Amino acid sequence: MTGDPYSPMVRQYFVRTSHAGDLPNAVSVALDQQGVHLRLAGTQENGRIQALRFRAWGCPHVIAACECFCDHYEGRPVPELSAFRAGDIMRKLSVPVEKTGRILVLEDAVRSLGRSFCDSSASPSS
Amino acid sequence: MSDDFIYLDYAASTPVDPRVTRLMLECHESGFANPSSNHVAGRKSRAMIDNAAAQLAALLNVDPETLIWTSGATESDNLAIAGAARHRAHRGKHLVTLMTEHKAVTDVFGMLEKEGFEVTWLTPDESGHLDPAVFAAALRADTQLASIMYVNNETGVMQDIASLGGICREHGVLFHVDAAQAVGKIAIDLQALPVDLLSLTGHKFYGPKGIGALYVADRPDCHIEPILFGGGQQRQIRPGTLPADLIAGLGLAADIAASCLEADFAHLAALRRTLWRGIRDVEGVLINGDIDAGFPGILNVSVANVEGESLLLELEPLCVATGSACNSTNQEPSYVLRALGRSDLLAQSAIRFSLGRPTSESEVEFAARRYRDGVARLRDLAPEAAA
Repeated sequence: MTGDPYSPMVRQYFVRTSHAGDLPNAVSVALDQQGVHLRLAGTQENGRIQALRFRAWGCPHVIAACECFCDHYEGRPVPELSAFRAGDIMRKLSVPVEKTGRILVLEDAVRSLGRSFCDSSASPSS
Repeated sequence: MSDDFIYLDYAASTPVDPRVTRLMLECHESGFANPSSNHVAGRKSRAMIDNAAAQLAALLNVDPETLIWTSGATESDNLAIAGAARHRAHRGKHLVTLMTEHKAVTDVFGMLEKEGFEVTWLTPDESGHLDPAVFAAALRADTQLASIMYVNNETGVMQDIASLGGICREHGVLFHVDAAQAVGKIAIDLQALPVDLLSLTGHKFYGPKGIGALYVADRPDCHIEPILFGGGQQRQIRPGTLPADLIAGLGLAADIAASCLEADFAHLAALRRTLWRGIRDVEGVLINGDIDAGFPGILNVSVANVEGESLLLELEPLCVATGSACNSTNQEPSYVLRALGRSDLLAQSAIRFSLGRPTSESEVEFAARRYRDGVARLRDLAPEAAA
Protein backbone atom coordinates (compact mmCIF):
# COMPACT_ATOMS: atom_id res chain seq x y z
CA MET A 1 0.00 0.00 0.00
CA THR A 2 1.46 3.37 -0.96
CA GLY A 3 2.46 5.45 2.04
CA ASP A 4 2.16 2.54 4.44
CA PRO A 5 4.52 3.29 7.35
CA TYR A 6 4.94 -0.43 7.98
CA SER A 7 6.67 -2.87 5.67
CA PRO A 8 5.04 -6.26 5.08
CA MET A 9 7.65 -7.86 7.35
CA VAL A 10 6.88 -5.43 10.17
CA ARG A 11 3.20 -6.21 9.82
CA GLN A 12 3.89 -9.95 9.76
CA TYR A 13 6.10 -9.95 12.86
CA PHE A 14 3.82 -7.50 14.71
CA VAL A 15 0.83 -9.78 14.23
CA ARG A 16 2.58 -13.12 14.82
CA THR A 17 4.41 -12.60 18.06
CA SER A 18 5.01 -16.26 18.76
CA HIS A 19 8.03 -15.41 20.93
CA ALA A 20 6.20 -13.06 23.24
CA GLY A 21 6.19 -14.26 26.83
CA ASP A 22 8.48 -15.54 29.54
CA LEU A 23 10.83 -18.50 30.01
CA PRO A 24 11.31 -20.35 33.26
CA ASN A 25 14.89 -20.56 34.57
CA ALA A 26 16.09 -18.18 31.87
CA VAL A 27 18.69 -15.46 31.78
CA SER A 28 16.92 -12.15 31.32
CA VAL A 29 17.63 -8.47 30.84
CA ALA A 30 15.30 -5.49 31.05
CA LEU A 31 15.72 -1.99 29.64
CA ASP A 32 13.54 1.11 29.90
CA GLN A 33 14.80 3.77 27.49
CA GLN A 34 13.64 5.97 24.60
CA GLY A 35 9.99 5.36 25.48
CA VAL A 36 10.53 1.60 25.12
CA HIS A 37 10.11 -0.98 27.89
CA LEU A 38 11.80 -4.19 26.88
CA ARG A 39 12.61 -7.52 28.50
CA LEU A 40 14.53 -10.29 26.77
CA ALA A 41 14.87 -13.77 28.21
CA GLY A 42 16.80 -16.72 26.89
CA THR A 43 18.16 -20.14 27.64
CA GLN A 44 21.30 -21.75 26.25
CA GLU A 45 22.75 -25.19 26.01
CA ASN A 46 26.31 -26.04 24.99
CA GLY A 47 26.96 -22.53 23.78
CA ARG A 48 23.89 -22.35 21.60
CA ILE A 49 20.77 -20.32 22.20
CA GLN A 50 17.99 -22.74 23.02
CA ALA A 51 15.01 -20.43 23.35
CA LEU A 52 14.29 -16.70 23.32
CA ARG A 53 11.28 -14.75 24.55
CA PHE A 54 10.50 -11.06 24.77
CA ARG A 55 8.08 -8.64 26.30
CA ALA A 56 7.88 -5.13 24.88
CA TRP A 57 5.97 -1.90 25.29
CA GLY A 58 6.65 0.25 22.28
CA CYS A 59 5.76 1.09 18.72
CA PRO A 60 5.05 -1.59 16.07
CA HIS A 61 8.61 -1.41 14.77
CA VAL A 62 9.99 -2.28 18.20
CA ILE A 63 7.61 -5.20 18.69
CA ALA A 64 8.31 -6.50 15.18
CA ALA A 65 12.06 -6.14 15.68
CA CYS A 66 11.91 -8.09 18.93
CA GLU A 67 9.95 -10.93 17.33
CA CYS A 68 12.25 -10.95 14.32
CA PHE A 69 15.34 -11.09 16.54
CA CYS A 70 13.97 -13.99 18.61
CA ASP A 71 12.89 -15.86 15.49
CA HIS A 72 16.29 -15.44 13.88
CA TYR A 73 18.63 -16.16 16.78
CA GLU A 74 17.14 -19.27 18.35
CA GLY A 75 19.55 -22.16 17.75
CA ARG A 76 22.50 -19.92 16.92
CA PRO A 77 25.80 -19.71 18.81
CA VAL A 78 25.73 -17.38 21.81
CA PRO A 79 28.74 -15.33 20.60
CA GLU A 80 26.72 -14.19 17.60
CA LEU A 81 24.66 -12.01 19.92
CA SER A 82 27.62 -9.65 20.24
CA ALA A 83 27.48 -9.11 16.49
CA PHE A 84 23.82 -8.04 16.51
CA ARG A 85 23.41 -4.60 14.94
CA ALA A 86 20.33 -2.39 15.03
CA GLY A 87 21.10 -1.26 11.50
CA ASP A 88 20.88 -4.82 10.15
CA ILE A 89 17.41 -5.45 11.52
CA MET A 90 16.28 -1.95 10.51
CA ARG A 91 17.29 -2.68 6.92
CA LYS A 92 15.64 -6.09 7.01
CA LEU A 93 12.35 -4.68 8.31
CA SER A 94 12.59 -1.30 6.52
CA VAL A 95 12.37 0.60 9.80
CA PRO A 96 12.43 4.38 9.23
CA VAL A 97 15.51 6.21 10.40
CA GLU A 98 13.58 8.22 13.01
CA LYS A 99 13.00 4.98 14.91
CA THR A 100 16.75 4.30 15.23
CA GLY A 101 16.86 5.24 18.92
CA ARG A 102 14.18 2.72 19.77
CA ILE A 103 15.80 -0.12 17.83
CA LEU A 104 19.10 0.70 19.54
CA VAL A 105 17.37 -0.20 22.81
CA LEU A 106 16.92 -3.68 21.38
CA GLU A 107 20.58 -3.75 20.35
CA ASP A 108 21.62 -2.82 23.89
CA ALA A 109 19.33 -5.50 25.31
CA VAL A 110 20.70 -8.17 22.94
CA ARG A 111 24.30 -7.32 23.81
CA SER A 112 23.43 -7.36 27.48
CA LEU A 113 21.76 -10.74 27.10
CA GLY A 114 24.89 -12.09 25.41
CA ARG A 115 27.04 -10.91 28.33
CA SER A 116 24.59 -12.41 30.79
CA PHE A 117 24.80 -15.76 29.00
CA CYS A 118 28.58 -15.66 29.29
CA ASP A 119 28.41 -14.66 32.96
CA SER A 120 25.97 -17.44 33.75
CA SER A 121 28.19 -20.00 31.94
CA ALA A 122 31.22 -18.85 33.87
CA SER A 123 29.54 -18.89 37.28
CA PRO A 124 30.12 -22.03 39.43
CA SER A 125 26.41 -22.60 39.88
CA SER A 126 25.61 -22.80 36.19
CA MET B 1 -19.06 0.73 3.10
CA SER B 2 -15.82 -0.98 2.10
CA ASP B 3 -14.66 -4.58 2.05
CA ASP B 4 -11.23 -3.89 3.46
CA PHE B 5 -11.77 -1.21 6.11
CA ILE B 6 -14.31 0.22 8.49
CA TYR B 7 -14.28 3.98 8.30
CA LEU B 8 -14.66 5.73 11.66
CA ASP B 9 -12.82 8.94 10.83
CA TYR B 10 -15.68 11.22 9.77
CA ALA B 11 -14.21 14.15 11.69
CA ALA B 12 -11.25 14.05 9.30
CA SER B 13 -13.40 13.86 6.21
CA THR B 14 -16.72 12.47 5.04
CA PRO B 15 -17.51 10.62 1.83
CA VAL B 16 -19.30 12.74 -0.74
CA ASP B 17 -23.02 12.03 -0.79
CA PRO B 18 -23.82 10.25 -4.11
CA ARG B 19 -26.49 12.87 -4.87
CA VAL B 20 -23.82 15.55 -4.47
CA THR B 21 -21.46 13.65 -6.75
CA ARG B 22 -24.12 13.39 -9.47
CA LEU B 23 -24.90 17.09 -9.28
CA MET B 24 -21.23 18.03 -9.40
CA LEU B 25 -20.68 15.91 -12.49
CA GLU B 26 -23.57 17.69 -14.21
CA CYS B 27 -22.23 21.08 -13.15
CA HIS B 28 -18.72 20.12 -14.14
CA GLU B 29 -19.94 19.78 -17.71
CA SER B 30 -22.51 22.53 -17.88
CA GLY B 31 -21.06 25.01 -15.38
CA PHE B 32 -17.52 25.27 -16.67
CA ALA B 33 -17.79 28.91 -17.73
CA ASN B 34 -16.36 31.69 -15.62
CA PRO B 35 -19.24 32.90 -13.43
CA SER B 36 -17.92 36.45 -13.70
CA SER B 37 -18.39 36.40 -17.48
CA ASN B 38 -21.46 38.27 -18.62
CA HIS B 39 -22.63 35.82 -21.29
CA VAL B 40 -25.11 32.97 -21.31
CA ALA B 41 -22.64 30.30 -20.20
CA GLY B 42 -21.20 32.53 -17.51
CA ARG B 43 -24.63 33.39 -16.20
CA LYS B 44 -25.41 29.66 -16.05
CA SER B 45 -22.42 29.11 -13.77
CA ARG B 46 -23.43 32.16 -11.76
CA ALA B 47 -26.92 30.74 -11.28
CA MET B 48 -25.49 27.49 -9.89
CA ILE B 49 -23.46 29.47 -7.39
CA ASP B 50 -26.41 31.64 -6.42
CA ASN B 51 -28.52 28.54 -5.86
CA ALA B 52 -25.82 26.99 -3.67
CA ALA B 53 -25.47 30.20 -1.68
CA ALA B 54 -29.19 30.15 -1.04
CA GLN B 55 -28.99 26.54 0.15
CA LEU B 56 -26.10 27.21 2.51
CA ALA B 57 -27.70 30.44 3.69
CA ALA B 58 -30.87 28.53 4.54
CA LEU B 59 -28.89 26.05 6.63
CA LEU B 60 -27.33 28.90 8.62
CA ASN B 61 -30.32 31.28 8.49
CA VAL B 62 -28.37 34.13 6.92
CA ASP B 63 -28.53 36.33 3.85
CA PRO B 64 -26.68 34.62 0.95
CA GLU B 65 -24.79 37.88 0.38
CA THR B 66 -22.96 37.36 3.69
CA LEU B 67 -21.21 34.21 2.44
CA ILE B 68 -17.71 34.30 0.96
CA TRP B 69 -16.57 31.17 -0.89
CA THR B 70 -13.10 29.92 -0.01
CA SER B 71 -11.02 26.81 -0.60
CA GLY B 72 -11.98 25.35 2.79
CA ALA B 73 -11.98 25.97 6.51
CA THR B 74 -8.25 26.61 6.69
CA GLU B 75 -8.52 29.51 4.27
CA SER B 76 -11.70 30.74 5.94
CA ASP B 77 -9.97 30.75 9.34
CA ASN B 78 -6.92 32.52 7.92
CA LEU B 79 -9.03 35.10 6.12
CA ALA B 80 -11.30 35.78 9.09
CA ILE B 81 -8.59 36.10 11.72
CA ALA B 82 -5.81 37.82 9.78
CA GLY B 83 -8.31 39.91 7.81
CA ALA B 84 -10.19 41.16 10.87
CA ALA B 85 -7.14 41.69 13.06
CA ARG B 86 -5.33 43.73 10.41
CA HIS B 87 -8.44 45.75 9.57
CA ARG B 88 -8.91 46.75 13.20
CA ALA B 89 -5.23 47.08 14.13
CA HIS B 90 -5.47 50.86 14.36
CA ARG B 91 -8.00 50.43 17.18
CA GLY B 92 -6.04 47.90 19.19
CA LYS B 93 -3.82 44.87 18.80
CA HIS B 94 -5.06 42.49 21.46
CA LEU B 95 -6.58 39.17 20.37
CA VAL B 96 -8.01 36.23 22.31
CA THR B 97 -8.22 32.55 21.46
CA LEU B 98 -8.17 29.08 22.99
CA MET B 99 -5.17 26.75 23.20
CA THR B 100 -7.24 23.84 21.86
CA GLU B 101 -8.17 25.48 18.57
CA HIS B 102 -7.31 23.82 15.26
CA LYS B 103 -3.89 24.62 13.78
CA ALA B 104 -5.65 26.61 11.06
CA VAL B 105 -6.47 29.05 13.85
CA THR B 106 -3.51 28.80 16.22
CA ASP B 107 -0.95 29.17 13.45
CA VAL B 108 -2.60 32.39 12.23
CA PHE B 109 -2.51 33.84 15.73
CA GLY B 110 1.13 32.80 15.95
CA MET B 111 1.83 34.69 12.73
CA LEU B 112 -0.04 37.76 14.01
CA GLU B 113 2.09 37.71 17.17
CA LYS B 114 5.11 38.06 14.91
CA GLU B 115 3.40 41.04 13.26
CA GLY B 116 3.16 42.77 16.65
CA PHE B 117 -0.28 41.67 17.88
CA GLU B 118 -0.66 40.47 21.45
CA VAL B 119 -2.54 37.19 21.84
CA THR B 120 -4.08 35.82 25.04
CA TRP B 121 -4.13 32.03 24.86
CA LEU B 122 -6.87 30.69 27.12
CA THR B 123 -6.76 27.23 28.67
CA PRO B 124 -9.93 25.14 28.87
CA ASP B 125 -10.92 23.16 31.94
CA GLU B 126 -10.02 19.47 32.00
CA SER B 127 -13.22 18.53 30.18
CA GLY B 128 -12.24 20.91 27.37
CA HIS B 129 -14.79 23.66 28.06
CA LEU B 130 -14.01 27.34 28.16
CA ASP B 131 -15.61 29.02 31.16
CA PRO B 132 -17.39 32.18 29.89
CA ALA B 133 -16.22 34.01 33.04
CA VAL B 134 -12.60 33.18 32.17
CA PHE B 135 -13.24 34.37 28.63
CA ALA B 136 -14.83 37.65 29.80
CA ALA B 137 -11.92 38.32 32.13
CA ALA B 138 -9.48 38.02 29.23
CA LEU B 139 -11.13 40.77 27.16
CA ARG B 140 -9.59 44.24 27.43
CA ALA B 141 -10.33 47.70 26.14
CA ASP B 142 -7.94 47.11 23.25
CA THR B 143 -9.22 43.60 22.37
CA GLN B 144 -10.40 43.54 18.77
CA LEU B 145 -11.03 39.89 17.94
CA ALA B 146 -11.73 36.60 19.68
CA SER B 147 -11.80 33.21 17.97
CA ILE B 148 -13.32 30.13 19.59
CA MET B 149 -14.22 26.91 17.79
CA TYR B 150 -17.73 25.48 17.98
CA VAL B 151 -16.95 21.74 18.10
CA ASN B 152 -13.44 20.58 18.84
CA ASN B 153 -12.13 18.35 16.08
CA GLU B 154 -10.30 16.00 18.44
CA THR B 155 -12.62 15.71 21.42
CA GLY B 156 -16.02 16.79 20.15
CA VAL B 157 -16.30 19.29 23.00
CA MET B 158 -18.87 21.98 22.18
CA GLN B 159 -18.29 25.50 23.46
CA ASP B 160 -21.06 27.78 24.68
CA ILE B 161 -20.97 29.96 21.59
CA ALA B 162 -24.10 31.92 22.55
CA SER B 163 -22.62 33.04 25.87
CA LEU B 164 -19.15 33.72 24.48
CA GLY B 165 -20.56 35.69 21.56
CA GLY B 166 -22.80 37.68 23.89
CA ILE B 167 -19.76 38.67 25.93
CA CYS B 168 -17.99 39.79 22.76
CA ARG B 169 -20.95 41.94 21.76
CA GLU B 170 -20.95 43.59 25.19
CA HIS B 171 -17.28 44.45 24.77
CA GLY B 172 -17.40 45.46 21.10
CA VAL B 173 -15.09 42.60 20.16
CA LEU B 174 -15.47 40.79 16.84
CA PHE B 175 -16.23 37.10 17.35
CA HIS B 176 -14.98 34.44 14.94
CA VAL B 177 -16.10 30.82 15.21
CA ASP B 178 -14.37 27.92 13.49
CA ALA B 179 -17.43 25.77 12.83
CA ALA B 180 -15.81 23.22 10.51
CA GLN B 181 -16.99 20.35 12.73
CA ALA B 182 -20.38 21.88 13.48
CA VAL B 183 -21.95 23.06 10.23
CA GLY B 184 -24.24 20.44 8.75
CA LYS B 185 -24.12 18.46 11.98
CA ILE B 186 -25.81 20.65 14.56
CA ALA B 187 -28.44 23.34 14.12
CA ILE B 188 -26.83 26.77 13.72
CA ASP B 189 -29.01 29.86 13.51
CA LEU B 190 -26.83 32.88 12.87
CA GLN B 191 -29.77 35.23 13.29
CA ALA B 192 -29.92 34.09 16.90
CA LEU B 193 -26.23 33.48 17.64
CA PRO B 194 -24.02 36.52 18.28
CA VAL B 195 -21.34 35.47 15.79
CA ASP B 196 -19.61 37.88 13.38
CA LEU B 197 -17.43 35.51 11.38
CA LEU B 198 -17.91 31.78 10.90
CA SER B 199 -15.75 29.30 9.00
CA LEU B 200 -16.94 26.08 7.39
CA THR B 201 -15.87 23.51 4.83
CA GLY B 202 -17.78 21.19 2.52
CA HIS B 203 -15.99 17.91 3.09
CA LYS B 204 -16.97 17.63 6.75
CA PHE B 205 -20.65 17.25 5.89
CA TYR B 206 -20.67 14.97 2.84
CA GLY B 207 -19.74 17.67 0.36
CA PRO B 208 -16.61 18.00 -1.75
CA LYS B 209 -13.10 18.91 -0.64
CA GLY B 210 -11.54 22.13 -1.83
CA ILE B 211 -14.52 24.32 -1.13
CA GLY B 212 -15.59 26.16 2.00
CA ALA B 213 -17.10 29.41 3.05
CA LEU B 214 -16.74 32.26 5.46
CA TYR B 215 -19.78 34.01 6.88
CA VAL B 216 -19.13 37.71 7.38
CA ALA B 217 -21.92 39.45 9.28
CA ASP B 218 -23.56 42.32 7.44
CA ARG B 219 -22.71 44.93 10.05
CA PRO B 220 -20.88 48.20 9.52
CA ASP B 221 -18.11 47.34 11.99
CA CYS B 222 -17.59 43.81 10.66
CA HIS B 223 -15.07 44.25 7.90
CA ILE B 224 -12.07 42.14 6.98
CA GLU B 225 -9.14 42.77 4.71
CA PRO B 226 -8.31 40.30 1.95
CA ILE B 227 -5.34 38.00 2.28
CA LEU B 228 -5.33 37.12 -1.42
CA PHE B 229 -5.12 39.65 -4.25
CA GLY B 230 -5.91 39.51 -7.92
CA GLY B 231 -9.46 40.55 -8.72
CA GLY B 232 -12.51 42.16 -7.27
CA GLN B 233 -14.66 39.08 -6.82
CA GLN B 234 -16.72 38.46 -3.71
CA ARG B 235 -16.97 42.00 -2.37
CA GLN B 236 -13.21 42.54 -2.86
CA ILE B 237 -12.66 40.17 0.07
CA ARG B 238 -11.67 36.98 -1.73
CA PRO B 239 -10.57 37.11 -5.36
CA GLY B 240 -10.32 34.15 -7.69
CA THR B 241 -12.53 32.39 -10.23
CA LEU B 242 -15.23 30.46 -8.42
CA PRO B 243 -15.60 26.68 -9.04
CA ALA B 244 -19.31 26.36 -9.79
CA ASP B 245 -19.29 22.56 -9.58
CA LEU B 246 -17.71 22.42 -6.12
CA ILE B 247 -19.92 25.21 -4.84
CA ALA B 248 -23.02 23.52 -6.20
CA GLY B 249 -21.93 20.35 -4.41
CA LEU B 250 -21.47 22.16 -1.13
CA GLY B 251 -24.86 23.78 -1.55
CA LEU B 252 -26.62 20.48 -2.08
CA ALA B 253 -24.73 18.93 0.86
CA ALA B 254 -26.02 21.80 3.00
CA ASP B 255 -29.54 21.26 1.71
CA ILE B 256 -29.37 17.55 2.51
CA ALA B 257 -27.90 18.25 5.95
CA ALA B 258 -30.71 20.68 6.72
CA SER B 259 -33.25 17.97 6.01
CA CYS B 260 -31.70 15.39 8.34
CA LEU B 261 -29.93 17.30 11.13
CA GLU B 262 -32.09 15.88 13.91
CA ALA B 263 -32.08 12.34 12.55
CA ASP B 264 -28.29 12.43 12.09
CA PHE B 265 -27.79 13.74 15.61
CA ALA B 266 -29.97 11.02 17.13
CA HIS B 267 -28.25 8.35 15.01
CA LEU B 268 -24.80 9.47 16.11
CA ALA B 269 -25.83 9.69 19.76
CA ALA B 270 -27.12 6.11 19.68
CA LEU B 271 -23.96 4.86 17.99
CA ARG B 272 -21.70 6.63 20.46
CA ARG B 273 -23.62 5.12 23.38
CA THR B 274 -23.10 1.65 21.90
CA LEU B 275 -19.42 2.30 21.31
CA TRP B 276 -18.81 3.66 24.79
CA ARG B 277 -20.78 0.80 26.38
CA GLY B 278 -18.50 -1.58 24.53
CA ILE B 279 -15.23 -0.13 25.78
CA ARG B 280 -15.94 1.62 29.06
CA ASP B 281 -15.04 -1.46 31.12
CA VAL B 282 -11.51 -1.63 29.72
CA GLU B 283 -9.24 -1.01 32.69
CA GLY B 284 -7.70 2.45 32.64
CA VAL B 285 -9.83 3.83 29.79
CA LEU B 286 -10.98 7.43 30.05
CA ILE B 287 -12.82 9.90 27.86
CA ASN B 288 -11.06 12.95 26.50
CA GLY B 289 -13.81 15.53 26.48
CA ASP B 290 -17.34 15.49 27.77
CA ILE B 291 -19.58 12.59 26.81
CA ASP B 292 -22.67 14.29 28.25
CA ALA B 293 -22.32 17.64 26.51
CA GLY B 294 -20.10 16.96 23.53
CA PHE B 295 -20.93 16.43 19.87
CA PRO B 296 -22.04 12.77 19.63
CA GLY B 297 -20.14 12.08 16.42
CA ILE B 298 -16.82 11.99 18.26
CA LEU B 299 -15.59 9.71 21.02
CA ASN B 300 -11.98 10.26 22.03
CA VAL B 301 -10.53 7.85 24.57
CA SER B 302 -7.15 7.34 26.16
CA VAL B 303 -6.04 4.21 27.93
CA ALA B 304 -3.35 3.75 30.51
CA ASN B 305 -0.29 1.60 29.85
CA VAL B 306 -0.82 1.06 26.13
CA GLU B 307 1.41 2.46 23.40
CA GLY B 308 -0.67 4.55 21.00
CA GLU B 309 0.98 3.76 17.68
CA SER B 310 0.80 0.03 18.29
CA LEU B 311 -2.81 0.37 19.36
CA LEU B 312 -3.62 2.14 16.12
CA LEU B 313 -2.09 -0.69 14.10
CA GLU B 314 -3.79 -3.26 16.32
CA LEU B 315 -7.14 -1.65 15.52
CA GLU B 316 -6.87 -2.20 11.77
CA PRO B 317 -9.04 -2.47 9.68
CA LEU B 318 -10.64 0.36 11.64
CA CYS B 319 -9.86 3.77 10.19
CA VAL B 320 -9.58 5.92 13.30
CA ALA B 321 -7.31 8.77 14.32
CA THR B 322 -4.76 9.38 16.99
CA GLY B 323 -4.98 13.04 17.88
CA SER B 324 -5.74 15.21 14.88
CA ALA B 325 -5.75 13.46 11.54
CA CYS B 326 -4.64 16.71 9.96
CA ASN B 327 -1.42 16.23 11.87
CA SER B 328 -1.05 12.47 11.88
CA THR B 329 2.47 12.49 10.49
CA ASN B 330 3.58 14.12 13.71
CA GLN B 331 4.19 11.57 16.47
CA GLU B 332 4.18 14.24 19.19
CA PRO B 333 1.35 13.89 21.71
CA SER B 334 -1.69 15.96 20.83
CA TYR B 335 -1.40 19.57 22.06
CA VAL B 336 -5.18 19.60 22.51
CA LEU B 337 -5.10 16.68 24.93
CA ARG B 338 -2.03 18.08 26.69
CA ALA B 339 -4.01 21.30 27.24
CA LEU B 340 -6.72 19.20 28.91
CA GLY B 341 -4.09 18.02 31.38
CA ARG B 342 -3.39 14.58 29.90
CA SER B 343 0.11 13.20 30.39
CA ASP B 344 2.24 12.61 27.30
CA LEU B 345 1.62 8.86 27.53
CA LEU B 346 -2.14 9.20 27.92
CA ALA B 347 -2.32 11.74 25.11
CA GLN B 348 -0.23 9.46 22.92
CA SER B 349 -2.58 6.54 23.56
CA ALA B 350 -5.64 8.56 22.49
CA ILE B 351 -7.89 7.14 19.80
CA ARG B 352 -10.53 9.32 18.17
CA PHE B 353 -13.51 7.41 16.86
CA SER B 354 -15.63 9.71 14.72
CA LEU B 355 -18.94 8.45 13.45
CA GLY B 356 -21.02 9.49 10.50
CA ARG B 357 -24.30 9.17 8.68
CA PRO B 358 -23.34 5.83 7.02
CA THR B 359 -21.97 4.26 10.24
CA SER B 360 -23.89 1.20 11.40
CA GLU B 361 -24.48 -0.32 14.81
CA SER B 362 -22.58 -3.46 13.80
CA GLU B 363 -19.57 -1.37 12.81
CA VAL B 364 -19.32 0.29 16.21
CA GLU B 365 -19.87 -3.04 17.95
CA PHE B 366 -16.99 -4.47 15.91
CA ALA B 367 -14.89 -1.40 16.75
CA ALA B 368 -15.51 -1.86 20.47
CA ARG B 369 -14.51 -5.53 20.29
CA ARG B 370 -11.41 -4.67 18.33
CA TYR B 371 -10.44 -2.00 20.86
CA ARG B 372 -10.91 -4.34 23.84
CA ASP B 373 -8.94 -7.13 22.15
CA GLY B 374 -6.19 -4.79 20.97
CA VAL B 375 -5.64 -3.28 24.39
CA ALA B 376 -5.60 -6.74 25.97
CA ARG B 377 -3.07 -8.10 23.48
CA LEU B 378 -0.69 -5.14 23.80
CA ARG B 379 -0.85 -5.33 27.59
CA ASP B 380 -0.13 -9.04 27.35
CA LEU B 381 2.94 -8.29 25.22
CA ALA B 382 4.30 -5.69 27.63
CA PRO B 383 6.64 -6.29 30.56
CA GLU B 384 4.87 -6.13 33.91
CA ALA B 385 6.43 -2.78 34.81
CA ALA B 386 4.90 -1.16 31.71
CA ALA B 387 1.55 -2.94 31.71
